[in-house]
Amino acid sequence: MDIQGLARELFARGEGMGFLDMEVYVSSRNQFRVGIFKQEIDSYTLAQSRGLMFRGMIGGKMGYSFTENLAAEGMEALLKDAMENAAIMDGEEGDEIFVGAAPEDYARLDAFNQSLAEVPAAEKIAWVKAVEGEAYALDNRVFTAQVSVGDNSGETLLMNSHGLTLSHCDNFAAGYISAVVKAGADTKQAFAFAASRDFSCLDAAKMAGEAVEEALSLLGAEPVASGRYPVVLRKDVARAMLATFASPFSADAAQKGMSLLKGKVGERIMSEVITIMDDPLLAERPAAAPFDAEGFPTRKKAVVEAGVLKTLLHNQKTAKKDGVASTGNAHKAAYNAPVGVAPSNFYIVPGQAGYQALLAQMGEGLLVTGVQGTHAGANPVSGDFSLSAYGYLISAGQVVRPVNQITIAGNFFAMLSDVQAVGNDLDFGAGAIGAPSLFIGSLAVSGA
Amino acid sequence: MLTKALLEDCIAAALGTGGDFAEVFVEDRMSNTLSMVGGRVDSSVSGREYGIGIRIMQGTNCVYAYTNDDTREGLLRVAKEAAEALPGVNGERRINLIKAGIPQVNLVRALPHTIDKQRKVALMTGAYQAAKEYDPIISQVSVRYFDEDQHVQIANSGGLLVEDRRVRTRTGITAIASKGAEKQSGMLAPGAHMGFDFYDKIDIDTYAREAARMASTMIHADYAPSGRMPVIIDNGFGGVIFHEACGHSLEATSVAKKTSVFADKLGEKIAADCVSAVDDGTIPNAWGSLNVDDEGHPTQRNLLIENGILKGYLIDMLNGRRMQAKATGSSRRQSYKFAPTSRMTNTFILAGPYTKEEIIANTEYGLLARYMGGGSVNTATGEFNFAVNEAYIVRNGKVMEPVRGASLIGKGAEILTRIDMVANNLLCGQGMCGSLSGSVPADVGQPTIRVSEITVGGRKGDK
Repeated sequence: MDIQGLARELFARGEGMGFLDMEVYVSSRNQFRVGIFKQEIDSYTLAQSRGLMFRGMIGGKMGYSFTENLAAEGMEALLKDAMENAAIMDGEEGDEIFVGAAPEDYARLDAFNQSLAEVPAAEKIAWVKAVEGEAYALDNRVFTAQVSVGDNSGETLLMNSHGLTLSHCDNFAAGYISAVVKAGADTKQAFAFAASRDFSCLDAAKMAGEAVEEALSLLGAEPVASGRYPVVLRKDVARAMLATFASPFSADAAQKGMSLLKGKVGERIMSEVITIMDDPLLAERPAAAPFDAEGFPTRKKAVVEAGVLKTLLHNQKTAKKDGVASTGNAHKAAYNAPVGVAPSNFYIVPGQAGYQALLAQMGEGLLVTGVQGTHAGANPVSGDFSLSAYGYLISAGQVVRPVNQITIAGNFFAMLSDVQAVGNDLDFGAGAIGAPSLFIGSLAVSGA
Repeated sequence: MLTKALLEDCIAAALGTGGDFAEVFVEDRMSNTLSMVGGRVDSSVSGREYGIGIRIMQGTNCVYAYTNDDTREGLLRVAKEAAEALPGVNGERRINLIKAGIPQVNLVRALPHTIDKQRKVALMTGAYQAAKEYDPIISQVSVRYFDEDQHVQIANSGGLLVEDRRVRTRTGITAIASKGAEKQSGMLAPGAHMGFDFYDKIDIDTYAREAARMASTMIHADYAPSGRMPVIIDNGFGGVIFHEACGHSLEATSVAKKTSVFADKLGEKIAADCVSAVDDGTIPNAWGSLNVDDEGHPTQRNLLIENGILKGYLIDMLNGRRMQAKATGSSRRQSYKFAPTSRMTNTFILAGPYTKEEIIANTEYGLLARYMGGGSVNTATGEFNFAVNEAYIVRNGKVMEPVRGASLIGKGAEILTRIDMVANNLLCGQGMCGSLSGSVPADVGQPTIRVSEITVGGRKGDK
């Protein structure tokens, strides 16, 4: 189907209905995923999907509507929906369709790896089977290993009635293992990921080894006594915390009174060892894109530099309200979500200390290697968290024993003001948010 | 929706290799999502999700494919591509679908699209004002209104052909209280498998004031204590404890592979005598109810636990093959983009003999969890966690000062045996439950219960 032709037709019909400026945003995705259980194909998914969102200015207000049925007869309903939605909006200064930037303002970004697109299904099936085989072979206490691998590719097309046409292609592959180990009545589980745009970079043995080794090392875990402990958050836990508390960095949240960072630009909000970057142009990460959800050119910027909040993240509307320029962080949670604000590839800049050196620097305390329930036990508005956690008790910089059934509690911003040292092990997992391991002065721990 | 002939041809194409069962799921869903912040409508989005999922089974192997392309050529191509993932060759299959009527349990009077959007805005404005005016300490209120009208058509190689229509609406109110640099929020989000007539049945303003009360109570509260103690969990959304601590571990997704702590335990004692629990997808107009599940089978009331004895699991067709057990009308999916699997619908602990007041009066020291937030569980280890949105200290049989920031952690199998009092005030609350087949509406529920000991994760002395 000729999407660009369809968009032009929508613009023509929309103009007839009274829309001034209009935009069409189309996401087309192809997905493949295969899961293995005991060397049998347990799940196998093939998918192709496409969705179109229309938005347009009518009567000074923005109206949105979307559809997945791109048959021409649905277009009338799409425009009518958008018109009705605009009518009930309380129009706001700053709602507009982007006029576009000069072509040279858009970075060249290669986020599509042709070799990944050519990997046959049989090779992916062989890969998951190898991971599972490796996991069972590592230790006879491995009870089950659930393994899957998938890849996702697609195109984002943005066209507007100012004549702006942008498109971006990307693909990405990710493998996952969940290993369950049993020793007597003791059951432990651990996960590991492998992610890349290059299928040959997915290391089956490494991924299996990481999950199995970690699960085994947690056998025999017990709580520690309640109290305050110095804590090292391993890189994956630090990453989960940053992901959970990314929303306060949105100017939209701040302007709506839902962020503690409102009015804090230029102020010290964290320890001076913390610098946080947002880099949409990090080509190897999945969120890499040369333009944001409203077509604005993206760029790399420091959000926090040496503990000082340098900027909030903006789209055009929030930027206009604050009298600044957009940071290129307009975001849609899905093709059919309204334009909001979110980070792109967002990460804490690594420091000097190796992982072992961080533990040595802490000496006595807790190493936290997993937290659960961040969707519930953490409040991005207040910054407060109380999360189920597990990891290891550390003495003289060495692991003494595994620990589980504890909670760690505190406030995200207070915690990042209490960072004693930053590790050199920045890791993004399979996603767009990254962090190195962090040594925190102390956190409240609830246990036995 | 697709024609019977096209559905039949699709199924036949899907069985072109060695598949022994094929199913086509067609979904056409209209939805409206309105958001109001600070009394202003700041977004209103409506639209149509539309697609087709094709599932093929060969023994316990399963292939799933989906597309938005509903043309004959497009669908047959996807069906064939999916079939190619399975080995073997079947002879020519003739599929003869027979359209069946389904039980109409969830009657809908006011279809969302017949309601003027201004009425939806008026509802939200009322809720906004009720919350904002509750207390000057309330600094911000956001209201989110949602409705959907989902048509599904489900056909399979066994000849089944059914159509269902699921209409739901939900309105969430978040109130934020501010004091100095601190913020606390209160949130409630009632919903139902109903049309706009739901708002004749409930008073949304009452929920809005309750969300504001929660935020204004918590902004004045000190941090919760840490450690193990008796916990009284109030009725309604408090049932999330059973949902997380036990419900997920009774889904065939983890039972069939024996990764659940409750696998192979039918007929065994897994909970205290005072605990009986069901999953009931047939409750008229309840948030998690369905006329038929996403495999096209009527939902049912499934007894899970009776007087502490494990009586049943929640089973879908594919896992039923693994377990050699019958499906229980529990197969669900977020949309055509997910293969269905066993999920909860409306899951709750049944009422017991005590009053809530008796439970409190019989508790010397502990935590009263008035409103729970969400939680999660690891079904392999049984370890769960969830957040408490509003809590109080109970001392000498009386409810004392409010405390904030508590979470509860533990192991499902242990918690179930430690429930020692169950009240008579069964109530359900609405949630979105996320798992393998996506995010689906689910009711959780219980009467007020007491658990003799849970680890409370607080940070008292930290403020």
